[in-house]
Amino acid sequence: MYAISYDDPETLAEFAEKQGVHFPLLSDIDSKVIRQFGILNEQVTRNDALLYGIPYPGVYVTNETGTVVAKFFHDSYKKRESPEFYIDAALGRLSLDEKAPQVSGGDQDINLTIAVHGGNGTVRQGIVRHLVVRFELPEGLHIYGPPVPEGMIATQVTIQGPEGLALMSPELPATEKLTLPGVAELNVWHGTVDLTYPFYATGELASECRPLDVPSIDVKVTVRYQACTDRECLLPKTESFTLSLDLDVIDIPAIDLHKGHGQREGNYDGAPALKRLLGRKIKQNPLGLPIFLIKSLWLQMGALLRKRQQKKSQNKQ
Amino acid sequence: MVVERDHHGFDAPAPLGHPGRASLPEGHSTGPEIGERLPDFMLPSTSGASIDYHDDRAGRKSVVVFFRSAVW
Repeated sequence: MYAISYDDPETLAEFAEKQGVHFPLLSDIDSKVIRQFGILNEQVTRNDALLYGIPYPGVYVTNETGTVVAKFFHDSYKKRESPEFYIDAALGRLSLDEKAPQVSGGDQDINLTIAVHGGNGTVRQGIVRHLVVRFELPEGLHIYGPPVPEGMIATQVTIQGPEGLALMSPELPATEKLTLPGVAELNVWHGTVDLTYPFYATGELASECRPLDVPSIDVKVTVRYQACTDRECLLPKTESFTLSLDLDVIDIPAIDLHKGHGQREGNYDGAPALKRLLGRKIKQNPLGLPIFLIKSLWLQMGALLRKRQQKKSQNKQ
Repeated sequence: MVVERDHHGFDAPAPLGHPGRASLPEGHSTGPEIGERLPDFMLPSTSGASIDYHDDRAGRKSVVVFFRSAVW
């Protein structure tokens, strides 16, 4: 594993030591490699002082030849994968963590497991976890993926959680085609089938700017399915499960900007590194810092105005 | 700093429109695609010594993370 940022080697060395990072942290001080990869955040300009040179954060997983087998980028810098997903991508299979919350259903023939994968199943702002619905079907039985002919049941999963639990598009394995005489072509899954539903918390549920409101949440999962052989079908089943998931705060740098929000502050005091970073950027563009400060102040005033207007309209209601 | 919630529902201790909150625009390149080999590159590590990425991984699988900063 290699992690690359525009920080200087001294900063990365201190960070690695204090935070117990044991893989190489690489210093791309002029953002040369970030540019080489084409992922420089161009919305941040030279006049944004210390921010200039950051990438759009993302992750590549490669095979033995260095060829990309998976990559992870999001439309918000707040969304990040759980580290377990990188291991899954590298190994090409999903390994469920037995310590994370999971419940079982099914019957004597079919094992049905509902498990949360990633970060021991804790829920944090922006950090993507997977809710995995795993069917283990005996030989000869299959279940259906959509679409199905009228009268047949496609496997359906419904997830209900509190406000602020955001669900992303499900990741479903490819179905196989099954053609039976007199019946339209069917889409089936057999063997071990993992239906994966990525989710994360928004600020409504677990904010990085306030302590947690509640320690945990309940997530209700309802699974409807029908298992069949090539000749006959078992009765459709609907099973419901409730998982209790712990909420967790996020890890933040120990600098004033983030302090006092009830989050987990790092062991690493970022203040000296911040000074060095600022010094480096001022050297490159002396006018950048004053322009950045004026811009920040202007944006801050806009935010305060919006807050005031929100309060006014709330009071009216 | 004022805390504001963005259109994704995320809170941050910076006003909306702050460059520190600028995220990947739709359609923007995300670098090498699946099936492409990561380019060669060499960067200093925490010791200051340069690491040649492909040499260092020595034929092993790898995870390459680009992150914004260890500082802030």
